[in-house]
Amino acid sequence: MNPFDANRHALSVNRRTFLTQSAYGLGGLAMALMHQKLAAAGAGGSPGAPVTLPPGWSGALREAHLPVKAKRVIFLCMAGGPSQFETFDWKPKLKELDGQAFPDSFTKGQQLAQLQNAVLKARGAFTAFKQHGQAGTEVSELFPHIGSIADDLCVIRSMQTEQINHDTAHAFMNTGSIIKGRPSMGSWLLYGLGAETQDLPGFIVLNSQGKFGLQPISARQWSSGVLPSRFQGIQFQSRGDAVHYVGNPEGVCQSTQRQVIDEVRRMNGLLADETRDPEIATRIAQYELAFKMQSSVPELTDFKNEPQAMLDLYGVKEPGDGSFASNCILARRLAERGVRMIQLYHRAWDHHSDLELGMKAGAKEVDQATAALITDLKQRGMLDDTLILWGGEFGRTPMGQGSGRDHHINAFSVFIAGGGVKAGTVYGSTDELGYRAQENPVNVHDLHATMLALMGVDHHRLNTKFQGLDVRLTGVAGNVVKGIMA
Amino acid sequence: MIRPVLLSVWLTAPLLAATSGVQPSISFNRDIRPIMSDTCFHCHGFDSKTREAGLRLDVREEALKPTKNDLIPIVPGKPEESEIIQRIMDPGDPMPPETMHKNLTPAQKELFRRWVAEGAVYEPHWAYTPLVKPEVPRGQKVTNPIDAFIQARLAEKKIKPSPEAEKTRLLRRVSLDLTGLPPTAAETAAFLADRSRNAYEKQVERLLASLHHGERMAVWWLDIARFSDTVGFHGDQNQRIFPYRDYVINAFNSNKRFDQFTAEQLAGDLLPNPTSEQRVATGYNRLNMMTREGGAQPAEYLAKYGAERVRGVSAAWFGSTFGCAECHDHKFDPIKAKDFYELQSFFADVKQYGVYNDYDYTPNPELKGFSNDSPFPPELEVESPYLATRYARANDELAALVASLRQRVADPAAAVRFGAWSGETRAYLGRVPSGWEPIRDATSEFRLRDKVLPERTVEFEADGTLRPDKPLGFRESLRLKFRPDEGRLASIRIDVGLVPEPPAKKRRSSPQPLMPRVSVIGADGKARELPWAYGEATAKAPRYENGFELHGVTAGWRLPEVKAPENLTAVWVLAEPVALQPGESLQLILTGGELPAMRVTTSRLGAPQPLATASSATLAKLTAPNSAASPDGSVIDAWLASTREDSAGMVRYHRAVAKVSDTHGGKAMTMVTEAAPPIPVRLLHRGNWQDETGPLVTPATPSFLPGRLESTPDQRLTRLDLAQWITGRDNPITARAVTNRLWAMYFGIGLSAVVDDLGSQGELPSHPELLDWLAAEFRDGGWDLRQMIRLIVTSATYRQSSDYRAELREADPANRLLAAQNPRRLEAEFVRDNALFIAGALDVRDIGGPSAKPYQPAGYYAALQFPDRDYVNSDADAQWRRGVYTHWQRTFLQPMLANFDAPARDECAAQRNLSNTPQQALTLLNDPTFVEAARLFAARLAAGGKDDTARLRSAFRAALARDPKPAELTALTTFLAAQRATYRAAPAEAEKLLRIGVAPPTTGDSAELAAWTQVARVLLNSQEVITRY
Repeated sequence: MNPFDANRHALSVNRRTFLTQSAYGLGGLAMALMHQKLAAAGAGGSPGAPVTLPPGWSGALREAHLPVKAKRVIFLCMAGGPSQFETFDWKPKLKELDGQAFPDSFTKGQQLAQLQNAVLKARGAFTAFKQHGQAGTEVSELFPHIGSIADDLCVIRSMQTEQINHDTAHAFMNTGSIIKGRPSMGSWLLYGLGAETQDLPGFIVLNSQGKFGLQPISARQWSSGVLPSRFQGIQFQSRGDAVHYVGNPEGVCQSTQRQVIDEVRRMNGLLADETRDPEIATRIAQYELAFKMQSSVPELTDFKNEPQAMLDLYGVKEPGDGSFASNCILARRLAERGVRMIQLYHRAWDHHSDLELGMKAGAKEVDQATAALITDLKQRGMLDDTLILWGGEFGRTPMGQGSGRDHHINAFSVFIAGGGVKAGTVYGSTDELGYRAQENPVNVHDLHATMLALMGVDHHRLNTKFQGLDVRLTGVAGNVVKGIMA
Repeated sequence: MIRPVLLSVWLTAPLLAATSGVQPSISFNRDIRPIMSDTCFHCHGFDSKTREAGLRLDVREEALKPTKNDLIPIVPGKPEESEIIQRIMDPGDPMPPETMHKNLTPAQKELFRRWVAEGAVYEPHWAYTPLVKPEVPRGQKVTNPIDAFIQARLAEKKIKPSPEAEKTRLLRRVSLDLTGLPPTAAETAAFLADRSRNAYEKQVERLLASLHHGERMAVWWLDIARFSDTVGFHGDQNQRIFPYRDYVINAFNSNKRFDQFTAEQLAGDLLPNPTSEQRVATGYNRLNMMTREGGAQPAEYLAKYGAERVRGVSAAWFGSTFGCAECHDHKFDPIKAKDFYELQSFFADVKQYGVYNDYDYTPNPELKGFSNDSPFPPELEVESPYLATRYARANDELAALVASLRQRVADPAAAVRFGAWSGETRAYLGRVPSGWEPIRDATSEFRLRDKVLPERTVEFEADGTLRPDKPLGFRESLRLKFRPDEGRLASIRIDVGLVPEPPAKKRRSSPQPLMPRVSVIGADGKARELPWAYGEATAKAPRYENGFELHGVTAGWRLPEVKAPENLTAVWVLAEPVALQPGESLQLILTGGELPAMRVTTSRLGAPQPLATASSATLAKLTAPNSAASPDGSVIDAWLASTREDSAGMVRYHRAVAKVSDTHGGKAMTMVTEAAPPIPVRLLHRGNWQDETGPLVTPATPSFLPGRLESTPDQRLTRLDLAQWITGRDNPITARAVTNRLWAMYFGIGLSAVVDDLGSQGELPSHPELLDWLAAEFRDGGWDLRQMIRLIVTSATYRQSSDYRAELREADPANRLLAAQNPRRLEAEFVRDNALFIAGALDVRDIGGPSAKPYQPAGYYAALQFPDRDYVNSDADAQWRRGVYTHWQRTFLQPMLANFDAPARDECAAQRNLSNTPQQALTLLNDPTFVEAARLFAARLAAGGKDDTARLRSAFRAALARDPKPAELTALTTFLAAQRATYRAAPAEAEKLLRIGVAPPTTGDSAELAAWTQVARVLLNSQEVITRY
């Protein structure tokens, strides 16, 4: 039997009250709600209850709350926290102050990471900036390709987060909470909206790593938390099978595997006749899905239909080499196949030292492919309904740390692009030294609320019950940022 | 009287009309509290900070008082005068406001109205009320009180319970539930043959007495205790804690009373004269996630650890969610922020570090010399029976190996070589009496990384002492090129005198380990490095690799601090001693140590245990005149280690030694609680650890539960006080929470479905009296878990068939009345255990021991760092251990476990999801664990049985504890024939399939075995195998 599932619980409470005990039943509205929750409840499997979930999941939300601007999200997560001062936030005043004491008025009483107990000195950008596009968006020279598509981007210079260390900052950026067990953004989207594909997981995570500035990440960042595990992000591996256990065992070909699955199906069918356990139908369907994935995943990761010009556009040296560029092509292929959330981690941005070396290398690894992905989607007419987010879990200090910069949470830059985004704009600003978001600060909850809004979801209304509480991506906070929406 | 609104409900719900002729009266807890909790309390409840309009609805006296606007919220008996009824009915300005998206239905509004009309009677929340044992319902013809409660309710509804499950299915059910393992075919046969009245009860007793019962129960408790092998945050390094898991398993196996179990885990160290076992139990307090991330602030993380501990303890023992109260008074339950921090302050004495390292930006002198590989103190060294067995075995194996290696001299040709070597050695010792020669005529060179430092110099003294102009710095090396006596080298020895304490202000808190590396420089100038067999030292500071101590000094010697003059010696022996050819020379590269001087000597002699090389005892034997004629064992050892006579043998020797070392003399380290002076705990506004304006708090039990204990200025309550209060008579919630969770283990769903929240957002139990009866029985019966389990599994309710009853689909769709058992998919660990057990491959030799590593896809830990990690699966000695022993990596949980819904155990997990996903199908189909199990199962089947039918029959008995149905037999016989044909045509494919896993390849008719492997795969993938019906 099922362990506690929030929706099922709500259902059982309603049912019990409704059907067996209460003085009065519930009205038609509650019945509708019940049916909706019933659909959601099936997500967890439901022996003992009469209805199981259809194996395809069409989402807990019956209809969009808001106009749907984007149908999928591609989150290019620059893990480690790239410097905003060498990407999107040009601070001439900071440059002037380079090497001098950083004014105490900014930093007093503020949280620091590795600069605890250190003398604070200003570090100006080591790179020049250029204005790009009609909007004249300032982008560092390290990112010429991204600069060239500036008119497709909405740069947010006033991002803020609450967590100053990698682990918790990633948790916060992905789940809106540092409490473990909160579902990640992708899980929420999949839970709320379902996916447009039945042959692939609806939430896929790809990882790549750079030369410098590596920091660990955790599967927690794509965990479904308290939502049923079918909504978790599926990590594609760069070695071996792209998806765990998607390859047949040695000595078993596709047709003998099919025969095994057919036989399992027959056995399960006989069992269903006897016990009438409704879970069995779901199991049978999941084996069919698994078998489909066994062929759809290899087809997906086989790049032979990608023309050389396409590989060149992204700067892919060897297709499927696990590089960020190769993952960007894969991301587009996933987007084409109806995956709801695609998350690319590139671990390369934690530059406590050797900032210059690290930023140059990191930029080289992601600049061209990022721009290519956006261009490619645009050419295919898919940018209109794809939401792209590029950014780290936090930013970096305007103060130097040896030859690098420390973690910073009071201000950093990200960009979004695609469906419903006010393209060719810069939103928000920081103070003259880039220490704090000044104009139009956007916190992580706001970003989440806005992304959900672009996907047609009111962030207050995408929730699940856990331990008696309504859990949401945005918790009890979050405001939709109208200024970045078209 | 039927009002219009009510009429419409009756019309849409004819079923209700059919089943309830009379309107039952309104119950606050059943009908009103859930609605209030969901829709009202957020603004009109417990949290005074967010209370709107001064209106409070959770307390009756408050709800009857006029508000700020002089309106009276509730006038008992007079709904038309009650403001809340007016407002909820008001379409223009409704309550709750539309912005909350929590609209009341007409029926809910009517419930409210009638409740007020009936007098607005409140009831206290069921879970917090004193626990009084209810009467067992009479009139049911049953002996087990559980059945009396369940059947009384069924009788009210005119529903008949289901018949008892078939015997085979019942035995499989209870075996899986009590031990996590299926019955063997022999056990099933014995049960079927037993016609006695109490045949089933005998099986229950057998299973409860099985040591596998403790393993099964541990899976349940380890989720709650958030047991894991790694720390969880950031680098997610290993922590040493497996003895705590052994403690939990043993506690269940010895039926330790739950009050004792509680006290030992929370406060074992505070018990009088605590035993080692009781201190191991306190590992519970150390299982919060920890960090070693550079730049983390210790105070911030101590606050995080403290908060998690409150969530953990309250979830584990109170079945309650204190989490929200970290930032504000709970919205739905009477849990105040102060309760949160008072509970936290019980644990303020648990010795812990916010950041487990000594960074220059967050210095911590207590963790001097720590690295990403270090453990997480405080720890305790304890006996491990598992390791002790293996320690003894490894020693026996080593002794046998040494004896066999020494037999080499029995071979005449080898004896001649041995004689020659003995002569040469005596001559050598004539020239070099100590056996250790200083380095002579060396050319020297200093480098920083690869850069030559021409200005640096070193002095050589006659006894071999090297005195560099200044100590070797970080990444500096000293390179010496020389030729030893007769060009022969087997060992390097380094002696050091005083090791000074490093200067106080230093980036690294300890110097790099001292390390010699030796290469042969050929005539062509090319260097060929010579690997060490082993290095060991008379004393060393420990070095670790991801939490596990490294043996010897083979990979570097971390010097201990020596304050008084003392000689420390380390010796490294080459894996293959070298004899230089003409034109060749040796290069010794020294790094680390940061010493002003050290004596470096070399020898052509070696020994299996390096420090024995040219020791005085060895020298005496080597120089004895008869040493070649009747050699002492140690002389033969020296011969083997000084020459290339049997290099492969020496490799085996060192491997055997490593096996001995790995078993640590049968001991293991484990994290424990050590009490320290309590750190101050404040009430943190909005949970902000940087806000120091909140008042300091002292330990006190939750204010909303009966029998509150508070610290006084003279006496601060301890963890032990808390533990004793938890299992004291006054506290009603622990017994309810634990028995409710036990119930969920045997029926798939708790009597109150939300097992981790018994608060007002949870669920009123389906059978409140039964839950209270069980809870009181548990408490009054001395917290005897096994007795409670026995009571549950011997009930008729438990023993019912789990077949789905279509006629109950409408009356009881979620089967909450329990007119049948519920089928339940096995939990992750048991999915694997079960498959391996069926295959005859599950390793059930030992109870307890270190974590094991089942197969895992390569590269899964690629994103882990500090230190970098690779996963090496266990060899045959530990590959097929039970799932409860699987290495638990919080950030990247073993994929098979993750796919079957095992929690990461970042926090207390009282209930697992049970999903049904394609990932599960892929795992069962393709994970090498299951494919290997299938081929081993197939080999077992092929070895017995006279024909296909007989074999299929035994396959079903092993896998499902039953005989195949005719349709199954026909289908699988056909399938088998097809597979046979396939593999006969492709023998190479069959061979491949039979080689999967670390078990020796199955031998025999490979096409036949492959075909049976496919049959086994079908069975192991079937729903019936992974489900307990």
